[in-house]
Amino acid sequence: MLGPDLTNVGIKVSREWIYKWLKEPRTIVDKDGNVTVNGYETEDEPRMPKFRLTETELRGLSAYLSVQKARPIVPYKIDARVVSAWSKNPELISQGELRFRQMFCSTCHSLAVTRAGETKLIGGDIGPELTKVGSKVNPEWLISWLRDPQGYLAHTKMPRYGWSDEDLYKVTQYIDTKLTDSDLLTGVPQLGQPSQDEVQLGHRLFLEKGCASCHIIEGLNPQKDFGPDLSALGGKNASELEFGSAKIPHNLVAYIQAKLQDPGSVNPAARMPQYNWNPADLDAITTALLSMKGAPPTSALQNLVVPREEAGFHPTGSFAEVYERYKCYTCHKFNGYGGSLAPDLTYEGSRAQREWIVDFLKNPQTLRPTLILRMPQFNMSDKDATTLADYMTLVLQHPDANPTSVDARQFTPAMVTLGKQLYEVKYQCQSCHTIGGTGGYVGPNLNNAGGWLTPAWVEAWLKNPQALVSDTIEPRRNFTDAEIKALTAYLMTLRQSIKPQKSASVTASLTTALGAVR
Amino acid sequence: MKLRTPIIALFLIFFCVASGCRKHAEPAKADLLLKAYDTEADWSDAQHIISLSYQQAQGKRVFYRHCVWCHADATPAGPSNRSNLTPVPPLLNDGATLNAESDEFMRNIITLGGSALGKSAMMPPYGRMLTAEEIRSVIAFTRAIAQPSYQPPGRPGSQYSSK
Repeated sequence: MLGPDLTNVGIKVSREWIYKWLKEPRTIVDKDGNVTVNGYETEDEPRMPKFRLTETELRGLSAYLSVQKARPIVPYKIDARVVSAWSKNPELISQGELRFRQMFCSTCHSLAVTRAGETKLIGGDIGPELTKVGSKVNPEWLISWLRDPQGYLAHTKMPRYGWSDEDLYKVTQYIDTKLTDSDLLTGVPQLGQPSQDEVQLGHRLFLEKGCASCHIIEGLNPQKDFGPDLSALGGKNASELEFGSAKIPHNLVAYIQAKLQDPGSVNPAARMPQYNWNPADLDAITTALLSMKGAPPTSALQNLVVPREEAGFHPTGSFAEVYERYKCYTCHKFNGYGGSLAPDLTYEGSRAQREWIVDFLKNPQTLRPTLILRMPQFNMSDKDATTLADYMTLVLQHPDANPTSVDARQFTPAMVTLGKQLYEVKYQCQSCHTIGGTGGYVGPNLNNAGGWLTPAWVEAWLKNPQALVSDTIEPRRNFTDAEIKALTAYLMTLRQSIKPQKSASVTASLTTALGAVR
Repeated sequence: MKLRTPIIALFLIFFCVASGCRKHAEPAKADLLLKAYDTEADWSDAQHIISLSYQQAQGKRVFYRHCVWCHADATPAGPSNRSNLTPVPPLLNDGATLNAESDEFMRNIITLGGSALGKSAMMPPYGRMLTAEEIRSVIAFTRAIAQPSYQPPGRPGSQYSSK
């Protein structure tokens, strides 16, 4: 389904918010006529189209949706000691913001940020943008959502973080206080308790307007083939089309464009909602529709199209459980399956040392400090981190880089010295890699190469980087075998312990405690 | 006699149309962009759009994957690595520096790396990464975006020509 599941939407948002959304789905046109979404300009329109709803219909639908509370939430009580320690603390909100940043929520969610008079979205687009989410969702829902996203929406990509009550309190307080807009619901009438008639009307409209074609509500069966079949639209003659009273040329292109831009213009009774296309999208979708001329003629040509092999990665056991909980595959790829935001982990067991993986998972410090989108801080338990690291080390291996095949004990100090020279003088690797604070940042930081990479991987990598990661931009060089050994020996001496980041909350509570003593 | 009148009429129509066309002809600028495989905004003047040939467009693709990190001040990832390097590598559109270098030199330094030609070893060799065709296309792209613009060396003209 294209839109979110609405089975439980009544516990998440208020009836007033639903009313506003249905009337004007996020899109707000400001006084200058610029299209703004939630207050900032954007080229991406929300996917929710605009339905031309009357006041009665708005009241009906908002009433119906606001009573969708199939699985009521049990409010989670945050430890009273945490609340009493923090609720009066003036730093509560700024600490919440700090944790929000440290956990790297922004890898998936964006916020509108105004700098030098220019407002733009900063952050990822895997999850929804959150600039005003505090004014949208019910605070109790927010807490239960953060603790267990799949409990509300089984198929959500949101990972299940390990929350301490302290973090949960600070972050939700931050969201409810800062990520808000008091003007969000301006112009929405006081709707009050939904009446039985309104709910019934909403139920009927939900099916009639086609809402059920994009949104699931458990127990509600959408009408099949809600919209008309378009597979032969491109072959239609102008005489077969209804132009109504629209003042447009009577041809197929004009018809399609008019219908897409304003469905009511060619047929006032159209059920199709109003979309906001940008000109490029409008042209693209027109072209696609024009190309649909019925079932394609069967010919030998079809046999030329080779179906793409479906990538699959089906882990089992305790690894699968943790992998699923943190939704690793949303960003990382495993054996061709998964997202492409973060590094492909298919050969992670050949690349990284087990201890490093454990440390990294518990405290993901990025190797590339210039990145804006980074691995979130999941507050992973030792057990989870070990499970993941063990599995990766044993299973996710490259046939040409077996970690046990190269023994680091063979490296001599002379090789290390030579390697350092090769690195710094002959090949000047520092143009792209950083060691000890100097160097470039095109490639990963090598401060901890010896604690991170396996010697087998480094050797195979120096021989031919593209054989291991086909799309890497590391130039393939022509090192001799002796040079490869020397460079590997040098890199394996580079160590820098990843110190567990002193979490700000610890420091802050220490400061508070000290203040109290004084 | 029967044929001549229509022929004359045809000629007349042809001339009217031809001269009419010439009078109202649009400047060729829009046409250039229409035929272009890709475009690149002039790095020092964003209003100036440079149209790229097929080869130059291929070069642009290679450039933005491999070279942009050190030979431009803005990169797809944001900050540039250029300021981390000594000597500072030339910007790819730096015509004042690069126009003087022959295609041959450019091909060699990309293929063999800086140290092979007595330049900085920070420039890695790409001979095992890029094909000869890709390297030619990057050079073509360099020439296309150069400011001041690049004038290909003319063929040595015939010294003995009467003209």
